[in-house]
Amino acid sequence: MSSVKGSGRLERRGVSLKLYGLLIFIYLYLPLMVVIVYSFSPTKTIVGMTGMTGKWYVELVQDKELLKAVLHSFEVGITAVVLALVFGTAGAFFITKVRFPGKGVFRALVMLPFVLPGIIMGLTLLIFIKNLNIPLSMLTILMGHVSFTTPIVMFQVSARLQRMGPNFQFAAQDLGATPFKTFWYVTLPMIRTALIGAGLLAFTVSFDEIVISYFLTGTWTTLPVYLYGMLRFGLSPKVYAVSGLILIFSLSLILLMTKYIGRSAEEFKVRR
Amino acid sequence: MELKKSRFDPPRSYIRGTPIILWLLFLVVVPLIFTFAMSFYSSEGLVLEKTFTLKNYKVFFTDPVYARILFKSLRLALGTSMLSIAMAYPLAYMVSFKMVRGRNLLFMMCIIPLWVSYLVRIIAWRSILGNRGVINSLLLAIGIIQEPLRIFLYNRFAIAVTLTYICIPFVFIPVYTSLEKIPRNILNAASDLGASEFTSFINVVLPLSLPGLITGFIFSFIIALGDYIIPLQLGGTQGIMFGNLIWSQFGVAFNWPFGAALGFVLFIISVTILGLTAKFGSTEGGFLSE
Amino acid sequence: MDLDFHPQHIVELYMDDATAIELQNLTKRFDEVVAVDNFNVKIQKGEFFSLLGPSGCGKTTTLRVVAGLEGPSKGTVLLEGKDVTGVPAYKRNVNTVFQDYALFPHMNVKKNVYFPLKMRKISLNQAEPKIERVLRLVNMEGFGKRLPQQLSGGQRQRIALARSLVNEPAALLLDEPLGALDFKLRVAMQKVLKDIQRNVGITFVYVTHDQTEAMTMSDRIAVMKDGHVHQIASPDEIYNDPETAFVASFIGDMNFLHGIIKSGSEKSAKADISGNIINTRKLKQGIKTGEEALLCIRVERVEVNPLEGKLDNVVACTLGRIVFRGTDYEATCRFDDSEIRAVVSATAWDHGLKEGDTIKIGFKTDDVIVFPKSEEKDVIKYSVEAV
Repeated sequence: MSSVKGSGRLERRGVSLKLYGLLIFIYLYLPLMVVIVYSFSPTKTIVGMTGMTGKWYVELVQDKELLKAVLHSFEVGITAVVLALVFGTAGAFFITKVRFPGKGVFRALVMLPFVLPGIIMGLTLLIFIKNLNIPLSMLTILMGHVSFTTPIVMFQVSARLQRMGPNFQFAAQDLGATPFKTFWYVTLPMIRTALIGAGLLAFTVSFDEIVISYFLTGTWTTLPVYLYGMLRFGLSPKVYAVSGLILIFSLSLILLMTKYIGRSAEEFKVRR
Repeated sequence: MELKKSRFDPPRSYIRGTPIILWLLFLVVVPLIFTFAMSFYSSEGLVLEKTFTLKNYKVFFTDPVYARILFKSLRLALGTSMLSIAMAYPLAYMVSFKMVRGRNLLFMMCIIPLWVSYLVRIIAWRSILGNRGVINSLLLAIGIIQEPLRIFLYNRFAIAVTLTYICIPFVFIPVYTSLEKIPRNILNAASDLGASEFTSFINVVLPLSLPGLITGFIFSFIIALGDYIIPLQLGGTQGIMFGNLIWSQFGVAFNWPFGAALGFVLFIISVTILGLTAKFGSTEGGFLSE
Repeated sequence: MDLDFHPQHIVELYMDDATAIELQNLTKRFDEVVAVDNFNVKIQKGEFFSLLGPSGCGKTTTLRVVAGLEGPSKGTVLLEGKDVTGVPAYKRNVNTVFQDYALFPHMNVKKNVYFPLKMRKISLNQAEPKIERVLRLVNMEGFGKRLPQQLSGGQRQRIALARSLVNEPAALLLDEPLGALDFKLRVAMQKVLKDIQRNVGITFVYVTHDQTEAMTMSDRIAVMKDGHVHQIASPDEIYNDPETAFVASFIGDMNFLHGIIKSGSEKSAKADISGNIINTRKLKQGIKTGEEALLCIRVERVEVNPLEGKLDNVVACTLGRIVFRGTDYEATCRFDDSEIRAVVSATAWDHGLKEGDTIKIGFKTDDVIVFPKSEEKDVIKYSVEAV
């Protein structure tokens, strides 16, 4: 922490900074609060709210189309994550273990679906699909989702592999393990938490994805696409209820994920 | 045994790369190639003419309407990014340097809005800024105004507010990461040599956090540039941006070749800007790496 | 095969051929860099063989080639007489102890030690007694359920050792295993390692940059620099008969002086150091009279004010810095533009001497070794410029 010289002036600085920080925090969290409050309001306003009601949530549960969309989101999400885990992990091993020139470019290419604006990925995939005459369906949405979830897995896993270092695998082989057994008994258990964390992260991103999905959807829709439809055709209070639930769901997923990724998951670092 | 050159690993190990290379081919490379190809076609009504033509690009580069929209979007992206930095940087500075306890918690709290659904955030802002939204309801209730003000929604202001809201976490993370990497004893040394906090900031912290700042700026810029849902939903008549221009080519306007051309232009712009991150920004994956 | 770690038993089995590991013309390149250049050696069964040298000299690379973790660019590796050059690591009967131990963090101690046996498809039941025995060998019985993270550095080291020994490999390869330990622990572990090696009778190939370690533990040492093997010999020979200036400088403390060769014979030679004629050991090949050469004398072989007639080489000089080092005194002596350091045991030191005194120093003919001046660049120096 910074020194104590001129502490009077410093402290004042600190206070005004914290005040500014607080304002920004309000800016960040106000909309979320609003959504949750609205979801319980019988009228469509906050002021003049005549008490709380859960009726929008009840309506929500009875909306068959909505529930179908939720189910679809889960289906796509889980499938995409599984595929991403396979492709991404394979890619992570490829990039950390094999020597080839232009690794930077390769990484950048894999990152593209994740960092480019969704509209570009959406339209390129749409054009690709039309050229192959594939009808818009779950398959096309799945393609889109696999495209941006794979980089997530690949980068998490390759980061973990690099932190692990190659010695554990060398030791296993030295002690008699074939490459497959090395992967199965040593490497896989050691990247397990990275896989879980990346999977959760990828699922969260997939569950919420609207831009690319909107390009690639036919009649088979996911929750965000359905929600967007609701949004365009008028603001039924049900929207807030859905939003409230999505909020809680995403939050719990993210909190769960922090158990597996980042500072909390230090256990497998090579230590003296 | 002869001398083996070890610049490349033996071809056998490239097999491991097959899945990811196939993935890359089918989901990234080939679609881009098809898009590039399509940008040279033209469409009459509902029929696609697969003859090579530069018409799409010509129209884009000559008709001032498109240039104007593109520049409008670029300006908006620039403005949004600057606003995002103005908010995210001090926040990151505060969490990194001024907080002792609860720092991890605070970090998480700055990140959480990122994971709340994008659509939910848009819905939220519509309800805050709208006629029956929070701001208007509050002002009406207090009595400052008699009728709801229409100035908050369906204009550039609404787009800016919402886009900034979306972009702040994307600036926060790289900036925070790079601030955290500054060794605290450097600052101790600086103040030991007589620098005030402000001087330390200008001469030490700011330059050292520049890579993170640039990365954050670029991420924010790209997001703001390519977004089409926010301008569409909250921009009203002022909401024609490059993003929804492209979008309409695949929707109502049904001119896929033109859309492909515009999309490709956006692609080139984005990739160029992203390339700048590699050169000037931090090399961390930011929110992707651990 | 019977699992008795009895040295006699092992020697009997292998009486016909005593070579455990043989390297023939081993060369390893990484792109343009030659990491190991033409290494030839036969390591005997039961031998404690060390690879010694500064970082980057190729010792670890050599070890990895023997283990099968890298393939050589040129040359052959033989294990117990069989060519294993193309054989991958998991099929070779040698095990490695890594510098950072590489204990699998998701397995407890017992599972770690069981791992090599599991790879040989030995059931846990059958393996239990072997695991127990090897844990007893390293004094870690009862630690079976602990996780590596819960162990201290020294304990982890011993488990790594146990894990590598449990399969009774033909040889054990150790890559600076004591590097991470602090001094006292390192010395204790050196003794443990040496005892285990002698009791089990297993061949050790030991990589280190610490010359004391190599000298105290090894039967033979290969001294390496920049991929080249400078000398393979017993510690005694390495210390007293270094083959190159590098070996002379790397082991022990050596004075290096410049001189012109005056004459040379079958038994000895003469050189001129700043006007003094010095008797030296016989010249190595390639050094001719009239040339400038490097002359080396061990610091502990230099006597201060020796008795008349006792030593063949006596030089007058001025006493410079005197440093008290606990067990001895180090005195820097200057004559003209040359400098010699003498180390005299504390009990033999004349406390009347002080800086600036004129003294005589002396040393035997056999203690002056001559190297070609061209080898000076390899000499390890300890000075500010070298840092």
